[in-house]
Amino acid sequence: MRERSDLFVRINASRVIAQRLAVPFLVVVSLLLIGIGKADLIVVERARVAVSDLMAPILAALASPAASVASGVRHVEGLFSLYDENQRLREDNDRLMRWQAVARRLALENAQLRALTHYRPRDASVEIAAQVIANSGGAFARNVLVDAGARDGVARGQAGMTGEGLIGRVAEVGERTARILLLSDLNSRIPVVVGASGQHAILAGDNSAEPLLLFLPAGSNVKVGDRVVTGGAQGVFPPDLPVGTVASIDGDTVRVAPSAELARLDYVRIVDLGLSAFLPRPLVPSR
Amino acid sequence: MRLTFFQRDTDTVNRLIPLLSCLAALVLSVVPLHVPGLAVVTPAFALMAVYHWTVYRPDLLSPSGLFVLGVALDLLGGTPYLGVSALTFLATRSLVLLGRRRAVNRPFAIVWAGFLVIAAFAIGLQWAITSAASMSALSPRPFIFQAVVTVAAYPIADYLLAQLQRGLLRRV
Repeated sequence: MRERSDLFVRINASRVIAQRLAVPFLVVVSLLLIGIGKADLIVVERARVAVSDLMAPILAALASPAASVASGVRHVEGLFSLYDENQRLREDNDRLMRWQAVARRLALENAQLRALTHYRPRDASVEIAAQVIANSGGAFARNVLVDAGARDGVARGQAGMTGEGLIGRVAEVGERTARILLLSDLNSRIPVVVGASGQHAILAGDNSAEPLLLFLPAGSNVKVGDRVVTGGAQGVFPPDLPVGTVASIDGDTVRVAPSAELARLDYVRIVDLGLSAFLPRPLVPSR
Repeated sequence: MRLTFFQRDTDTVNRLIPLLSCLAALVLSVVPLHVPGLAVVTPAFALMAVYHWTVYRPDLLSPSGLFVLGVALDLLGGTPYLGVSALTFLATRSLVLLGRRRAVNRPFAIVWAGFLVIAAFAIGLQWAITSAASMSALSPRPFIFQAVVTVAAYPIADYLLAQLQRGLLRRV
């Protein structure tokens, strides 16, 4: 009997020591993980992709009701502003009708000029529709997880869009999910062209709502309200996609307000230009 | 008291409730909630659950459980530095254990005030670690915003978790 209680005490003691050491041990492992994340190892990316793929059905199941509740709320909100909305749409319609006339004229002119120069159009763009099923939520990363992956033809580096404009680029691709790094993320760098004069720059996120324009040539005459579109200097990224407008200029700090509402993403399009030859199977072209 | 086999089994399941509720909080923090203004930075739901259980039932939420939870959150959120959340949860636990005697069996206001301190510490720590890891001083504004909404939303989370605790953990 005494022997047994001795053994019990000893087991208990070792358990206490293990418990005492557990926290420091796990803290060291956490610090190592932070270091590994910094080294940007492929293992980390694989683990992220695997967890995302695994959780995708659960997240998708939760995302749909959340989206329908949100659209219900928006519907009710809309009822209260019907009059104002109508007024605004009338004005918009008026303005857009004028634009339509301009666009028709330009399309005709464009067709004539193309015929003159025997211009061969680029490959049609490929678009994949996807629903946002998760977002980073934290204060230090800006990305969204969508429910389309490699099996749908999504590849790294493709552009994520909404109807309004670019939201970011595809950073990680799983079998059934893909992660889009938003324009506003700290690690986002996208080549862009600014204004009518077409100055090249890099759009860099800093976790705020309005990303920065970097590497603008000295003496460039960028103004508030200038349009920003993708540059397409890199082969994968389609050029001339709308990104946003210059929102503020403060000395060397130029900020861009994205056209897409990055805070309210439900459905996105993933656009790919020129890579259709390498895609696994034919996809429906956008035009 | 001798427990029957079935009772022992349900106890095992019940003992997992803190960890499972933390996991649910974790999923909730990445699902797009479409709440206007909260879409970019959501409240740190997992932190609330970790605080609640560490105050009331620290025996049911082990350091290794917290570690797994933190790594899962970082993997799912696609954050660049794995381990930041795990480190935050472990530090939170140690800090809560230091002061939890002052919060147990006291009015809710004191538990909430304790959470204010803990949330400020935890989110400040996250800011410091990510700033150090990315070698640049990150803008503290989203972090401050997250701390504020997290503290503001805590009473609801505490109420729900307390219901869970009363309903399922009576015997454990």
